[in-house]
Amino acid sequence: MSAVEWIRLIIGCLFILVGMVIFFTELFGVFHFNYVLNRMHAAAMGDTLGISACLIGLMIFSGLNFTTLKMFLIIVFLWFASPVSSHVLSRLEAATNDNLSSHCEIYEDVETLERELAAAGKDGDTEKKEASVS
Amino acid sequence: MKESIYHPLFILLLIVLSFMLLVCLIRAVKGPRVADRLMAVNMMGTMVMVMISILALLLREGYLVDICLIYAMISFLSVVVISKVYIGIYEEQHHYQEDAEGGNADECS
Repeated sequence: MSAVEWIRLIIGCLFILVGMVIFFTELFGVFHFNYVLNRMHAAAMGDTLGISACLIGLMIFSGLNFTTLKMFLIIVFLWFASPVSSHVLSRLEAATNDNLSSHCEIYEDVETLERELAAAGKDGDTEKKEASVS
Repeated sequence: MKESIYHPLFILLLIVLSFMLLVCLIRAVKGPRVADRLMAVNMMGTMVMVMISILALLLREGYLVDICLIYAMISFLSVVVISKVYIGIYEEQHHYQEDAEGGNADECS
Protein backbone atom coordinates (compact mmCIF):
# COMPACT_ATOMS: atom_id res chain seq x y z
CA MET A 1 0.00 0.00 0.00
CA SER A 2 1.54 3.28 -1.08
CA ALA A 3 1.72 6.45 0.95
CA VAL A 4 -1.00 8.16 -1.09
CA GLU A 5 -3.47 5.42 -0.28
CA TRP A 6 -2.66 5.63 3.42
CA ILE A 7 -3.28 9.39 3.30
CA ARG A 8 -6.60 8.81 1.48
CA LEU A 9 -7.63 6.24 4.08
CA ILE A 10 -6.79 8.54 6.99
CA ILE A 11 -8.53 11.61 5.54
CA GLY A 12 -11.61 9.60 4.57
CA CYS A 13 -11.80 8.01 8.03
CA LEU A 14 -11.53 11.48 9.56
CA PHE A 15 -14.47 12.77 7.51
CA ILE A 16 -16.59 9.71 8.30
CA LEU A 17 -15.74 10.04 11.99
CA VAL A 18 -16.91 13.67 11.91
CA GLY A 19 -20.13 12.54 10.22
CA MET A 20 -20.75 9.87 12.85
CA VAL A 21 -20.14 12.37 15.66
CA ILE A 22 -22.65 14.72 14.04
CA PHE A 23 -25.21 11.91 13.74
CA PHE A 24 -24.66 11.08 17.40
CA THR A 25 -25.14 14.75 18.34
CA GLU A 26 -28.32 14.78 16.31
CA LEU A 27 -29.69 11.77 18.20
CA PHE A 28 -28.66 13.26 21.55
CA GLY A 29 -30.38 16.55 20.70
CA VAL A 30 -33.52 14.79 19.55
CA PHE A 31 -33.83 13.05 22.91
CA HIS A 32 -32.61 16.01 24.97
CA PHE A 33 -35.03 18.77 23.93
CA ASN A 34 -38.65 18.55 24.98
CA TYR A 35 -40.60 20.12 22.14
CA VAL A 36 -40.83 19.42 18.42
CA LEU A 37 -39.71 22.84 17.23
CA ASN A 38 -36.60 22.56 19.41
CA ARG A 39 -35.90 19.01 18.31
CA MET A 40 -36.20 20.01 14.67
CA HIS A 41 -33.10 22.17 15.05
CA ALA A 42 -31.03 19.15 16.04
CA ALA A 43 -32.61 16.91 13.42
CA ALA A 44 -32.03 19.29 10.52
CA MET A 45 -28.32 19.44 11.30
CA GLY A 46 -27.76 15.76 10.53
CA ASP A 47 -29.69 16.01 7.28
CA THR A 48 -27.21 18.44 5.73
CA LEU A 49 -23.95 18.46 7.67
CA GLY A 50 -23.89 14.84 8.82
CA ILE A 51 -24.62 13.26 5.47
CA SER A 52 -22.26 15.73 3.75
CA ALA A 53 -19.35 14.70 5.97
CA CYS A 54 -20.10 10.98 5.60
CA LEU A 55 -20.46 11.15 1.83
CA ILE A 56 -17.33 13.30 1.39
CA GLY A 57 -15.43 10.60 3.30
CA LEU A 58 -16.90 7.92 1.05
CA MET A 59 -16.08 10.04 -2.01
CA ILE A 60 -12.44 10.15 -0.93
CA PHE A 61 -12.49 6.35 -0.53
CA SER A 62 -14.13 5.88 -3.91
CA GLY A 63 -11.66 7.88 -5.98
CA LEU A 64 -12.44 9.77 -9.17
CA ASN A 65 -15.33 8.08 -11.01
CA PHE A 66 -19.05 8.33 -11.64
CA THR A 67 -19.95 7.04 -8.17
CA THR A 68 -18.25 10.11 -6.70
CA LEU A 69 -20.24 12.38 -8.98
CA LYS A 70 -23.53 10.76 -7.95
CA MET A 71 -22.64 11.10 -4.27
CA PHE A 72 -21.93 14.79 -4.83
CA LEU A 73 -25.34 15.06 -6.51
CA ILE A 74 -26.97 13.53 -3.40
CA ILE A 75 -25.26 16.12 -1.18
CA VAL A 76 -26.40 18.99 -3.41
CA PHE A 77 -29.95 17.64 -3.53
CA LEU A 78 -30.12 17.36 0.26
CA TRP A 79 -28.82 20.91 0.68
CA PHE A 80 -31.90 22.08 -1.19
CA ALA A 81 -34.40 19.53 0.12
CA SER A 82 -33.65 19.47 3.84
CA PRO A 83 -34.49 23.13 4.65
CA VAL A 84 -37.70 22.83 2.66
CA SER A 85 -38.81 19.71 4.51
CA SER A 86 -37.92 21.31 7.86
CA HIS A 87 -39.99 24.35 6.94
CA VAL A 88 -42.96 22.21 5.92
CA LEU A 89 -42.71 20.21 9.16
CA SER A 90 -42.65 23.34 11.29
CA ARG A 91 -45.65 24.70 9.40
CA LEU A 92 -47.44 21.42 10.12
CA GLU A 93 -46.66 21.80 13.82
CA ALA A 94 -47.69 25.47 13.92
CA ALA A 95 -50.93 24.81 12.02
CA THR A 96 -52.11 21.81 14.02
CA ASN A 97 -51.06 22.72 17.56
CA ASP A 98 -53.91 24.47 19.37
CA ASN A 99 -51.91 25.54 22.44
CA LEU A 100 -48.73 26.58 20.71
CA SER A 101 -48.47 29.70 22.87
CA SER A 102 -47.62 27.59 25.92
CA HIS A 103 -44.39 26.49 24.20
CA CYS A 104 -43.21 29.66 22.51
CA GLU A 105 -43.99 33.35 22.17
CA ILE A 106 -46.53 34.13 19.45
CA TYR A 107 -47.35 37.45 17.82
CA GLU A 108 -50.85 37.69 16.35
CA ASP A 109 -49.76 39.91 13.45
CA VAL A 110 -46.43 40.81 11.96
CA GLU A 111 -46.86 44.54 12.62
CA THR A 112 -46.65 44.10 16.41
CA LEU A 113 -43.41 42.18 16.11
CA GLU A 114 -41.95 44.72 13.69
CA ARG A 115 -42.93 47.60 15.96
CA GLU A 116 -41.31 45.92 18.95
CA LEU A 117 -38.16 45.16 16.98
CA ALA A 118 -37.96 48.75 15.68
CA ALA A 119 -38.46 50.13 19.19
CA ALA A 120 -35.76 47.83 20.53
CA GLY A 121 -33.43 48.87 17.73
CA LYS A 122 -33.95 52.62 18.20
CA ASP A 123 -33.36 52.66 21.92
CA GLY A 124 -29.83 52.63 23.21
CA ASP A 125 -30.58 50.21 26.04
CA THR A 126 -31.46 47.19 23.90
CA GLU A 127 -30.03 44.77 26.39
CA LYS A 128 -32.23 46.07 29.19
CA LYS A 129 -35.40 45.58 27.17
CA GLU A 130 -34.44 42.10 26.11
CA ALA A 131 -33.61 41.23 29.68
CA SER A 132 -36.99 42.53 30.85
CA VAL A 133 -38.79 40.59 28.11
CA SER A 134 -37.06 37.33 28.92
CA MET B 1 -3.95 -5.50 1.91
CA LYS B 2 -6.30 -2.72 0.87
CA GLU B 3 -9.38 -4.96 1.05
CA SER B 4 -8.48 -6.18 4.51
CA ILE B 5 -8.60 -2.60 5.82
CA TYR B 6 -11.72 -1.30 4.08
CA HIS B 7 -13.97 -4.34 4.62
CA PRO B 8 -14.00 -4.38 8.46
CA LEU B 9 -14.26 -0.57 8.50
CA PHE B 10 -17.41 -0.62 6.36
CA ILE B 11 -18.94 -3.44 8.41
CA LEU B 12 -18.25 -1.49 11.62
CA LEU B 13 -19.83 1.66 10.16
CA LEU B 14 -22.91 -0.31 9.09
CA ILE B 15 -23.30 -1.76 12.59
CA VAL B 16 -23.01 1.68 14.24
CA LEU B 17 -25.49 3.18 11.77
CA SER B 18 -28.02 0.41 12.36
CA PHE B 19 -27.91 1.05 16.11
CA MET B 20 -28.52 4.76 15.45
CA LEU B 21 -31.42 3.75 13.21
CA LEU B 22 -32.97 1.79 16.08
CA VAL B 23 -32.69 4.85 18.35
CA CYS B 24 -34.44 6.91 15.65
CA LEU B 25 -37.19 4.31 15.56
CA ILE B 26 -37.65 4.70 19.34
CA ARG B 27 -38.14 8.44 18.77
CA ALA B 28 -40.67 7.74 16.04
CA VAL B 29 -42.65 5.44 18.32
CA LYS B 30 -42.41 7.71 21.39
CA GLY B 31 -43.00 11.04 19.63
CA PRO B 32 -46.06 12.68 21.15
CA ARG B 33 -46.96 14.67 18.03
CA VAL B 34 -47.22 13.90 14.34
CA ALA B 35 -44.37 16.29 13.49
CA ASP B 36 -42.12 14.30 15.85
CA ARG B 37 -42.77 11.07 13.99
CA LEU B 38 -42.29 12.65 10.58
CA MET B 39 -39.02 14.20 11.73
CA ALA B 40 -37.80 10.82 13.01
CA VAL B 41 -38.71 9.21 9.67
CA ASN B 42 -36.76 11.95 7.89
CA MET B 43 -33.72 11.25 10.09
CA MET B 44 -34.01 7.51 9.41
CA GLY B 45 -34.08 8.28 5.69
CA THR B 46 -30.82 10.22 5.99
CA MET B 47 -29.09 7.38 7.82
CA VAL B 48 -30.37 4.79 5.35
CA MET B 49 -28.90 6.94 2.54
CA VAL B 50 -25.46 6.76 4.17
CA MET B 51 -25.90 2.99 4.63
CA ILE B 52 -26.78 2.51 0.95
CA SER B 53 -23.71 4.53 -0.10
CA ILE B 54 -21.47 2.42 2.14
CA LEU B 55 -22.99 -0.74 0.65
CA ALA B 56 -22.30 0.59 -2.84
CA LEU B 57 -18.61 0.83 -2.03
CA LEU B 58 -18.57 -2.43 -0.05
CA LEU B 59 -20.19 -4.51 -2.78
CA ARG B 60 -18.46 -2.56 -5.59
CA GLU B 61 -21.81 -1.90 -7.27
CA GLY B 62 -21.93 1.69 -8.50
CA TYR B 63 -25.61 1.65 -9.41
CA LEU B 64 -26.60 1.41 -5.72
CA VAL B 65 -25.78 5.14 -5.48
CA ASP B 66 -28.52 5.78 -8.07
CA ILE B 67 -30.94 4.04 -5.73
CA CYS B 68 -29.67 6.29 -2.95
CA LEU B 69 -30.44 9.38 -5.03
CA ILE B 70 -33.95 8.14 -5.77
CA TYR B 71 -34.38 7.31 -2.07
CA ALA B 72 -33.47 10.92 -1.19
CA MET B 73 -36.06 12.28 -3.63
CA ILE B 74 -38.84 9.94 -2.46
CA SER B 75 -38.06 10.65 1.20
CA PHE B 76 -38.29 14.41 0.60
CA LEU B 77 -41.50 13.99 -1.39
CA SER B 78 -43.10 11.82 1.28
CA VAL B 79 -42.39 14.32 4.06
CA VAL B 80 -43.82 17.23 2.05
CA VAL B 81 -46.90 15.34 0.88
CA ILE B 82 -47.76 13.85 4.28
CA SER B 83 -47.36 17.26 5.95
CA LYS B 84 -49.62 18.95 3.41
CA VAL B 85 -52.24 16.18 3.62
CA TYR B 86 -52.23 16.32 7.42
CA ILE B 87 -52.60 20.12 7.45
CA GLY B 88 -55.50 19.79 4.99
CA ILE B 89 -57.26 17.12 7.07
CA TYR B 90 -56.81 19.13 10.27
CA GLU B 91 -58.20 22.32 8.77
CA GLU B 92 -61.11 20.44 7.24
CA GLN B 93 -62.07 18.94 10.60
CA HIS B 94 -61.65 22.33 12.25
CA HIS B 95 -63.97 23.98 9.72
CA TYR B 96 -66.55 21.23 10.12
CA GLN B 97 -66.53 21.70 13.87
CA GLU B 98 -66.82 25.47 13.54
CA ASP B 99 -69.66 25.09 11.05
CA ALA B 100 -71.46 22.69 13.37
CA GLU B 101 -71.04 25.02 16.35
CA GLY B 102 -72.11 28.03 14.30
CA GLY B 103 -75.16 26.14 13.02
CA ASN B 104 -76.15 25.17 16.56
CA ALA B 105 -75.74 28.73 17.77
CA ASP B 106 -77.93 29.99 14.93
CA GLU B 107 -80.59 27.44 15.77
CA CYS B 108 -80.49 28.37 19.45
CA SER B 109 -80.77 32.06 18.74
